[in-house]
Amino acid sequence: MKISTIQKKQIVGITGLAMVGFVLAHLSGNFLIFKGPEAFNAYAKFLHDLGGLLWVMRIGILGSFLLHIFFTIQLVIANKKARNARYYKYKNHRSSSSLATQLMPLTGTIIFIYIIFHLLDFTLAEKVGVIEGIDYGLFGLVVNVLGNPIHAAFYIIAMICVGLHMFHAFQSVFQTLGIMSERNQHQITMASQLLGIAITLGFSSIPVYILFNF
Amino acid sequence: MSDTITLTLKVWRQRSADDAGHFEIYKAKDINVNMSFLEMLDVVNDTLTLNNQMPIAFDHDCREGICGSCGAMVNGVAHGPVSAVTLCQLHMRSFSDGDTIVIEPFRAKSLPIIQDLVIDRTAFDRIIAKGGYISVKTGSAPEANDTPIKKTNSDSAFDAAACIGCSACVAACPNASASLFVAAKVSHLALLPQGSTERKRVLNMVDQMDAEGFGGCSNAYQCEAACPKQIKVENIARMNREYTKQKLSR
Repeated sequence: MKISTIQKKQIVGITGLAMVGFVLAHLSGNFLIFKGPEAFNAYAKFLHDLGGLLWVMRIGILGSFLLHIFFTIQLVIANKKARNARYYKYKNHRSSSSLATQLMPLTGTIIFIYIIFHLLDFTLAEKVGVIEGIDYGLFGLVVNVLGNPIHAAFYIIAMICVGLHMFHAFQSVFQTLGIMSERNQHQITMASQLLGIAITLGFSSIPVYILFNF
Repeated sequence: MSDTITLTLKVWRQRSADDAGHFEIYKAKDINVNMSFLEMLDVVNDTLTLNNQMPIAFDHDCREGICGSCGAMVNGVAHGPVSAVTLCQLHMRSFSDGDTIVIEPFRAKSLPIIQDLVIDRTAFDRIIAKGGYISVKTGSAPEANDTPIKKTNSDSAFDAAACIGCSACVAACPNASASLFVAAKVSHLALLPQGSTERKRVLNMVDQMDAEGFGGCSNAYQCEAACPKQIKVENIARMNREYTKQKLSR
C-alpha cells in the first residue's frame, strides 16, 4: 500500500501530538522537584511500580518517536527533490511565524541529540545523587546534573528548541488533520504559540531553580 | 518623480530544457513607470531584437490578471513585490530609478523550464484531469435560486474558484508543493452541490499531485502570501479533511 504525502504528514502529526502529551505529563511530574526530594522520588517510584503499564507507555512513546522521525526524513527528502534548482534570490513572505517554521529541521535535530544525552544522564543512569553527604536518589541526581551551569545551559537551549518546535508544530497538526478552519485558525495558532512558550519556560524553571537554591 | 526610470535587469536565460541556464544583465533604459512589468519586458525585448539577440521568452496571454499564464520570481517573490497581483498587473511604479531587478522563472522539478521564464505547467493539467471537474451535465446557467446553497459555502467556493492555476504557490513554497492549487480545486467543487457527488476526486487528485513529484505542505503558508488571487490556506485544511473523510469512507 502506498502512503500518500498527506498520510505521512498525518502520521507525523499524530505521533507528534502523542509526544506533546508525553512532554506535558513529564513536565507536570518534573514540577514535583519544587516540592522536595520525597515527593519527587515518590513520583519516580510510582512510575516505576507501574511495571507493565510503564513499558506499554515507553514502547508507545518510542514508537511515536521513531515513526515521527522516519516519516519526517522521508518527507524532507521528497520536499528537497521537488525543488531541484535553487533560487538565486528567494524572499520569505511571512516574517511573523516563519522563524519557528523555518527552524523546524534544526530544532528537531537538536531535540534528537538532546534526547540521547537526556536518556544517558537520567533514565539510564544510576539513580544516585549525593548532596552534602546524603544520597537523595533521583532527586539528587537531577540537582547534581542540572546544578552544573554548562549542563543547565545546554538543557535550557534544548528546551528553547522544544518550545520553538511546538510553537509551529501544534497548530500544524490541526491544519494537516483538516481540523483548522478560518473560524478557529486564530485560536489554534495562539494555543500553539502559548504552548511552545509555556513548555520552554516550564522546563527551564527547573535548572534555574536548582542553580539558585543548591 | 520623473515618469521614466532606468533599471538593471538580471534575467535568467535558458535556451531549452536541457540547457544549464545562466543570468544575463540588461539595462532597461527610460522605462515609463505606468508600464506593466510585461510591457517593460516587451520594451527590453525590442532592443534585444534590434541588436540581433534572442528576446527574453515569457508566458503571457490576457494581461489583466485572469488567465494565469504569466509569472516569474521578481527579486525573490512570485509575481513581484505587490501582493494580490499577477506579473502583468505589476507596474513599474513599484520600482525606483536605478534599481536592480532579479528575474527568475518559477522553479520546481514538476514545472520544468521550457525556455527563459517559460515553464511547463502540464502537471497541473494532469492533476485536473484526475478529477478537477464535474461529470454531470449542468446545461446552461440555471435559475439563480433553483439550487439553494449556503451563503458561506458559495462564498468559500467562489473564493477557491478564483484560482487561475498560475503556479505561484508552487514557486513560493519552500517544498515546491502544489497543495494550495489542488486544495483550491477540491474546495471549489466539494462545497457546491454540483461537485459534491464526486467527492472521491480528492483521492485521485492528491495521488496525481504526489506522482508528479510536488513536495508536501509544511504549513509555511508562503503560498497564501504569494497567491495573486489570495486563496487561503484554510483550503488546504479542507483538502486534508476531504482526503481523510474519503479515505476512511472507502
